[in-house]
Amino acid sequence: MSHVNTVAFAILIGSFLVVTFIGFASARWRPAEDPMQLSEWGLGGRGFGSFVSWFLLGGDIYTAYTFIAVPALVYATGAAGFYALSYTVMMFPIVFIFAPRLWSVARARGYVSPGDFVRGRHGSQGLGLAVALTGILATMPYIALQLVGIESVLTVVGIGSSSGNALVRDLPLIIAFAVVAAYTYLAGLRAPALIAFVKDILIYVTVLVAIAYIPGRLGGWAHVFSVASAHLHTVNPATGKAYGSIVVMPAGEWAFGTLALGSALALFVYPHAATGVFAAKRRDVIRRNAAMLPAYSLVLGLIALFGYLARAAPSVNAGIKADGGNPQLSVPLLFARMFPSWFAGIGDSAIVIGALVPAAVMSIAAANLFTRTIYKELISPNATPAQETRVARLASLVMKVGALGFALELNKTFSINLQLLGGIWVLQTFPAVVISLYTRWFHRSALIFGWATGMVYGTVEAYRTSGGGQAHFGASTTAVFGHITYIAIVALILNVVVSVVLTVVFRRIGLQEGWDETRPADYTADPVPVPAASAGTRIRPFRRPDDASQIPARR
Amino acid sequence: MSHVAPPGKRPATWAVVAVLLGVAIAGTLWVPIYARSAPKFGPFPFFYWYQLIWVPITAVLCWICYLLLKTRPASHGAVRK
Repeated sequence: MSHVNTVAFAILIGSFLVVTFIGFASARWRPAEDPMQLSEWGLGGRGFGSFVSWFLLGGDIYTAYTFIAVPALVYATGAAGFYALSYTVMMFPIVFIFAPRLWSVARARGYVSPGDFVRGRHGSQGLGLAVALTGILATMPYIALQLVGIESVLTVVGIGSSSGNALVRDLPLIIAFAVVAAYTYLAGLRAPALIAFVKDILIYVTVLVAIAYIPGRLGGWAHVFSVASAHLHTVNPATGKAYGSIVVMPAGEWAFGTLALGSALALFVYPHAATGVFAAKRRDVIRRNAAMLPAYSLVLGLIALFGYLARAAPSVNAGIKADGGNPQLSVPLLFARMFPSWFAGIGDSAIVIGALVPAAVMSIAAANLFTRTIYKELISPNATPAQETRVARLASLVMKVGALGFALELNKTFSINLQLLGGIWVLQTFPAVVISLYTRWFHRSALIFGWATGMVYGTVEAYRTSGGGQAHFGASTTAVFGHITYIAIVALILNVVVSVVLTVVFRRIGLQEGWDETRPADYTADPVPVPAASAGTRIRPFRRPDDASQIPARR
Repeated sequence: MSHVAPPGKRPATWAVVAVLLGVAIAGTLWVPIYARSAPKFGPFPFFYWYQLIWVPITAVLCWICYLLLKTRPASHGAVRK
């Protein structure tokens, strides 16, 4: 893999330049009257309708995790990797239930992040801080996963992998990331929202062509499944057990179900998902999108099957073996071996841009968290909106550097673990964020102790797992009462139990409650978004007819 | 939980929504239902096509719930009151 695939690389560079142009130009898209408001930079002015939100949320949720990590897991272990499909199926009913309330209270109170909301709901800086720090910590490995995705494409194209010098090897990655950081700094959420259009077109084209074309070249699906099944049943000399199975085994059912459920619950409390939700223009936009976003899940299911296609292609297996058995390369190699160079370039671009969009949204989301919950609460309570925006922009840069650290430090063979590790942490904010949308029964201090319990347990358990060739943080499941279970779910249960018990105790001893600044009506609020006068002057290139007909009917 | 519902939505509507979404989540959460290879759909083992088929089912269930909860007075069909 030492020679560079020039055609594919040229197309990759070309599409990178196109999205870079769009990224910088997006600063002028729907210009704000006052761009130095945090909700302008960090939430795109809270003005995205159903159409833009669909692309943004899709671009945000379906990341390099989808295109690299999931097929890699399917390639290596078979059916177990399909928990990701089950997870994205469960995700939208969950979004449908919780997201509209979160959107309403954020709109009514001007919150820009889940940390903000928790601080206001419980009158507790400490709890807000816990949520913010957890969100930031959990987002870093998730951004790192995007980097790993880009890296595997570059490796297959033949860029940067041959050098022994770490700096030279990672240079293309660092340059790409610096460019993204620059336009994210400038344009905020508008940049990934616009680039998401390009990303999705590339992805839908690539996936549809791949699924129509590649199976035929490999002898049809029946052959693909039989090859994959034969491989998965052979015994792995390293572990003495079979590599995996074509259908989940009874012993793996708990792991499969809890990984799917834990990931789906965690997704909703990841800061970047909340950012996508907050950026919506109306309450209805979110529910309508919950019904329309599953189109992406279908794509995810098809991409997961790429893992089997890769397994059935001898040239792909050889390529993976040549690179030290790195399954992350399965999809880029599949494109390189099955497609003509120019179309492989399109597919590679889809993966790279598919990693840049969520990386940008995630860094913005973490920056929003930092600015409101840490900077404004603890460092500079009198900060003006312009100062907030400036701090958030800098914080988004810092996030990217932190993510690079994760990407270079942690095991990349199963980068899916980066996401699952973040999931363990971020799910511990679920009681404070999601349960608080419905009830103030929990005592603020009890929630902090519950959170701390979940964090400590989750981190220690994750630390104790080995796998993928490393002694610690190697996996994300552990045996509980004889069932292999996703650590995040166990930690969440402990978290809730501690919160309940301590709430009762704290009430009994009369520990002071926090002051709730929200009102019941805030949770169902659906304010009219934009004054009619300015609505006409904005650029709305993709207004759908039914959108237009609904505007006058508001309220 | 009655204060949760926006004005004009009956508890019955919320109950229907809860059931539909519960079904949508349980469909793939209950792994033993589909952890099997037969019946096959063409070359696809049950495990795969069952999960894929749940994607459009979930979408339809969410869409029904969206129509049930729509608050806009000008909209017709769906649920009144």
